[in-house]
Amino acid sequence: MTALLLGALGLTLSLLVPRPLARARWTARVPAAAVALWQAITLAAVLSAVGVVLAAPEELVRATGRGAEAALIGALAVAAVIVVRLLWCLGGVMYRSRARRERHRTLVDLLDRAERRAGLTDEVRVLDGPLPFAYCLPGRSPRVVVSDGALQVLTAEQVAAVIAHEQAHLRRRHDLVTESFTAFHRAVPRPLRSRRPLDAVHLLLEMLADDAARRAHGDAALRDALTTMGDATTTPETDGGRDEQAERRRRLERLRPGAPGPDRRLAAAVLAAAAGVLVLPTVFLVVPWLDTALGNWPL
Amino acid sequence: MAGLGDLERDVMAQLWDAGEPLTVRQVFDRLSRERDLAYTTVMTVLDRLAKKGVVTQERADRAYRYAATQTREEMTAALMLDALSSAPDGAARDAALAHFVGRVGPDGAAALSRALEAARNRA
Repeated sequence: MTALLLGALGLTLSLLVPRPLARARWTARVPAAAVALWQAITLAAVLSAVGVVLAAPEELVRATGRGAEAALIGALAVAAVIVVRLLWCLGGVMYRSRARRERHRTLVDLLDRAERRAGLTDEVRVLDGPLPFAYCLPGRSPRVVVSDGALQVLTAEQVAAVIAHEQAHLRRRHDLVTESFTAFHRAVPRPLRSRRPLDAVHLLLEMLADDAARRAHGDAALRDALTTMGDATTTPETDGGRDEQAERRRRLERLRPGAPGPDRRLAAAVLAAAAGVLVLPTVFLVVPWLDTALGNWPL
Repeated sequence: MAGLGDLERDVMAQLWDAGEPLTVRQVFDRLSRERDLAYTTVMTVLDRLAKKGVVTQERADRAYRYAATQTREEMTAALMLDALSSAPDGAARDAALAHFVGRVGPDGAAALSRALEAARNRA
């Protein structure tokens, strides 16, 4: 019974919840809490899968009264495979991201047009070229990369807002959040794999960085920068399943005058939901099962 | 006193501006017009750049000459392609960098590739 319930929970969290949650508009008002909710849902789905693998054989053994030792070994082995696969993917994503950033940073430092970044912080590097863009390279020695094209089309205040946005990504280590969701995405077997959590969290992290930038430089500067740069670089078609235009529209919506601001009550409710997703199944399903199971396992 | 990183950048700039292989002495002469530095420092920096694969060393008339492996335009285009385009392994690439805006879809990536190709052909 426990295995069935955990299985149902796992499938609900990984197949049914992500779609409406990714589409929901209220997450834009509480991006930090929404990221926590995505993390809780993802972690709970993983724990459910491990729980199913451990509980199903035990419950079968209890029902039939045979094969206890083989079931125990099998259950532990499959659970270990799940956990190891997740950690392996996490390690791989982190290693590859770091290697790529390292190489990228070396080149960006060499190509830097230092003379064009007077007045900007030391982390900033300026790249030649008319295409307006900005991005950041997280890590121990982080960089904010801005193109010369961006410096040409943006005002000083808009440039400051863009840089504040990137620095928020760097200071709050959004890269670690992205990496963990990327690793989870890759660890899930292909038929069940979905980009939804990854893309939704990506957008929420952009909103969080936007909030840091607007606090420092105002809504207008950020909004204008987003409009100007987005028009020049983003292509209309979807890119690997992620709709860049739609993302930008949703970020701009929050910045227009009169848009609903942050909502403390909603944030508290979302955080409570995040905690509930993790705590409730543990208390009502896993702990009672462990109670009976520990008595029955041949330990 | 500028750090080694700044010096590496300035040495690269000299090699790019020269457009032909330079000896350590030539690089040193060009750089020491603007600042005080040791000949051996320039040697060290060129050596480091060679190890990073952005500079090649060739022997000509008993002196080593150094040249950038790519023009500035090529290297910039390659870097932008790495940063902005969506590759097959999209998820892992997303994890490496975070963008404000300015990612390009397939069309933009193709345009960047063409720019890179054109830069390569000019060289």
